[in-house]
Amino acid sequence: MTRYGMSIDLDKCMGCRACMEACKVENSTPPGSFFMYVFRLEQGEYPSARVSFLPRPCMHCDNAPCVKVCPVGARYKREDGIVATDWDRCIGCRYCEVACPYGVNTFNWMDPAENTYLDYDDADVAAVTGGVVPPYRNPALEEPYGPEQRMIAGGGHSRGVMEKCTFCVHRVEDGLDPACVQTCPVRALTFGDLDDPTSAVSRAIQGRTGFRLLEEAGTEPRVHYVGGAAPGPEAREVDEPVTEV
Amino acid sequence: MATTARTLPAERGRGGRTWYPVVALLLILLGVGIYAYLEELSEGMAVTGLRNLGPQGGATWGLYITFVIYFVGLSFAGISTAALIRLAKIDKLRPIVRMAELLTVICLMLAAMTIVADLGQPLRGIVNLFRYARPQSPFFGTFTLVISGYLFASLVYLYLDGRRDAAVRAAEGAPYRGFLRAWAAGYSDTEPERVRHRRASFWLSIAIVPLLVTAHSTLGFVFGLQVGRPGWYSALQAPAFVMLAGVSGLGMLIILAAIARRSLHLQARLGLPMFRTLGIFMFVSLLVYLYFVGVELLTNLYTGSVRERDVLRELLGGDYAWLYWSAIAGFVIAAALLVAWLAVQQLRTHIWPLVVAGVLVNLGAMAKRFLIVVPSQTEGQLLPYADGSYAPSWTEYAVIGGLLALGVLLFLGFAKVFPIIPLPEEGDDGKVVT
Repeated sequence: MTRYGMSIDLDKCMGCRACMEACKVENSTPPGSFFMYVFRLEQGEYPSARVSFLPRPCMHCDNAPCVKVCPVGARYKREDGIVATDWDRCIGCRYCEVACPYGVNTFNWMDPAENTYLDYDDADVAAVTGGVVPPYRNPALEEPYGPEQRMIAGGGHSRGVMEKCTFCVHRVEDGLDPACVQTCPVRALTFGDLDDPTSAVSRAIQGRTGFRLLEEAGTEPRVHYVGGAAPGPEAREVDEPVTEV
Repeated sequence: MATTARTLPAERGRGGRTWYPVVALLLILLGVGIYAYLEELSEGMAVTGLRNLGPQGGATWGLYITFVIYFVGLSFAGISTAALIRLAKIDKLRPIVRMAELLTVICLMLAAMTIVADLGQPLRGIVNLFRYARPQSPFFGTFTLVISGYLFASLVYLYLDGRRDAAVRAAEGAPYRGFLRAWAAGYSDTEPERVRHRRASFWLSIAIVPLLVTAHSTLGFVFGLQVGRPGWYSALQAPAFVMLAGVSGLGMLIILAAIARRSLHLQARLGLPMFRTLGIFMFVSLLVYLYFVGVELLTNLYTGSVRERDVLRELLGGDYAWLYWSAIAGFVIAAALLVAWLAVQQLRTHIWPLVVAGVLVNLGAMAKRFLIVVPSQTEGQLLPYADGSYAPSWTEYAVIGGLLALGVLLFLGFAKVFPIIPLPEEGDDGKVVT
């Protein structure tokens, strides 16, 4: 029985945020929406300040608070451990978003087609695109996935629905790694079957000290951190929040 | 009977001089609200002040959810009054039972509409909530127990309670006779009918009393069960929701009764003893609620987790402090006013202290609902996200304003076609000793 999980090696992560970039391209997420987010944290005061990084995908919890609260079953747990969001069923009540202790959910406040990084009507942009290059969208995201054949892949789908990290379900079902894992230049991220002791992810965790985020909340996250330490209460984020939708 | 009835509010044209300007103003407010909602429908919820938690540093539930809770809270008034009259035999409250039931029905309808306004996909929501309903979600209770069960029971109660008056008014040849006849549905006020009615309302009020606790608790559980939200996750959340619902609902009922007493010249019918009963119930609920607030504050200050204390610090001395302390001041002043009203001989014969207390607790309840919903999202992230902020946009204010106007319009409209104060029954000559 395949049970997907991820390991994140904090000793290797250097905060380049290439995973965030790869995720955005792969999943066609609109501005302000981050399925993968890398915290850049600082602790202590000068001269003994210290910087650390913490990549934060969806934890794909086994006891997921978001699945429990969804009133229509749009958020559900797949057999293979992936916590999926059916954007074709979601009613946009945003209960999953307040229930999630990790803040991984992202809501489409406006139509993603009108919410793009580039203004395609702008004269300078149109000079390059020639008016014929449309905003890129990954076609694999419009397909149904899993034995349930539900619409769960990627982001930027429609207005008023919730989206979040899918573990790149459209790639995983093709036997590929998620985009963030594929892209990481220092192989800090590993993906695979946690039930198989010989898988890459199991070997990455074995014999290493590690932790899972907010384990005390009882959510049973499937993302394992190795090396480094969980951020303490004095950790502060360096970046300002992204306020545009 | 006929002479008493003629002085009752169902008469068309009474209070006409202020009625039309008030209705016009409410219609304008409603129009602005509808315009704002249409804009939200066409532009998406980006026109609200709501944003994503975490990297976007916003609150995803805001003014709409605040008012969903507030409206459901107000609906407490109807069932509690009905139950007190039928079960505790407090007949003094009988003149306001219809007003209380109407308040419940209107508030629940407003709450349902506010939920729809808060959905990203409203049409899909109305279909999918039935099609794919999951009882595991605390929202399920909000839709079944609160919006459907509670509303249905209140409508039945309102209907049964009004049949006699409808029959009497129709027989008198009052306006809207067709409507009154349909409501009366063959009722002709004979003794066996009265007995049957009384029995039906008695059992109905027994059946709906458990709803009083479960329905308001359900809404508390929407928040209290969330382990990931400091400031929400508390076993006290559900009981506190029930108590604050009682305080605000009774407060609103006192305000409405005072308005009816003044504008319909019913000083005799809506007498001091009735206000005294309402006032004492509100006072007791308010004391219990303040006790809950104190208990929660002490627990969180003494042993709260780091994040719990972060949220609390924002409430006590941060961005939300002005609102928090205003709400607490409102509750405490209301309580002090009620103590004075109970203790001082000269005040006891007035109802203004009760009305002022009612207004204060309602403003306090709105503020407190907001403070439950929002700060936990902007300041209570468990991961080290930067603090967020939330300010409602004009769209949200306009939609809420429109809904409030709609509520008042429905109330006024009902009062126009139906006796808002039950007609006096035999052995009740309309004069209540003060």
